[in-house]
Amino acid sequence: MEHASMVHALREIHRTLKPNGILLDMRPIEDNWAVEVKSDARVDVAGRLVDIPSGLADTAACFEALRDVEARGWFVQERAEKFTFFYYWDMPSEMKAYIETEWDSYEKLEDEVYQRASSLWASANAEARVRVHRKMWLARWRKTN
Amino acid sequence: MKPQKDPENFERKYLFDFADFTDARVLEIGCGDGRLTWKYAPASSLTVGLDPDFDELRLARADYEVSRRDRPSDLRGRVHFARASAYHIPLPKETFDIALLSWSL
Repeated sequence: MEHASMVHALREIHRTLKPNGILLDMRPIEDNWAVEVKSDARVDVAGRLVDIPSGLADTAACFEALRDVEARGWFVQERAEKFTFFYYWDMPSEMKAYIETEWDSYEKLEDEVYQRASSLWASANAEARVRVHRKMWLARWRKTN
Repeated sequence: MKPQKDPENFERKYLFDFADFTDARVLEIGCGDGRLTWKYAPASSLTVGLDPDFDELRLARADYEVSRRDRPSDLRGRVHFARASAYHIPLPKETFDIALLSWSL
């Protein structure tokens, strides 16, 4: 979505909110998310995903649109925090297939990281799973007029 | 195979820490298959989920039918899904207490 369209969408949201209503913006933040092998006893980091520039540009565009509507006096940011969001797969091959089909426009799993995850997973106990340690952004904005 | 997402429920914890959904009227933009919707909708007085993807909305509605069978008095008439994007929201002005951009915009 282009910047002007994002601002228009935020204007639509502003219109539907009651006076002093709240806008919550929750989204993933690209940060070369860690690929980990998790068992009951431990967590091993196999490596990190590689952020793809187009995904970074989309996130930057969203933040720019929100700054724009704040400058226009439609919303004011009250609070923002990052938090963790894990994706779990039973096997590394399932993780690889998912990343290649669902996240292909913004994340890349390099073969070296995949091989390391597979090796760690194979030597862990039977309950071990692979996971991606994703970072999330949550911000609260207040409608101001 | 689909991954298991956020089994620790951090997402719900943060959402409820950031806003009070109790009896609130909530608009969710980009609700997708309703995965996030069901984490707060039971607390709300009205939830409207919008998404431009018909396939995702079908999944959200299917989950709704299951939830409604299990908890009819909790959810009847309080949760709605519609095909729309944030660019044009086909709803009246000043309707909602909370708007949630759910991994969208």
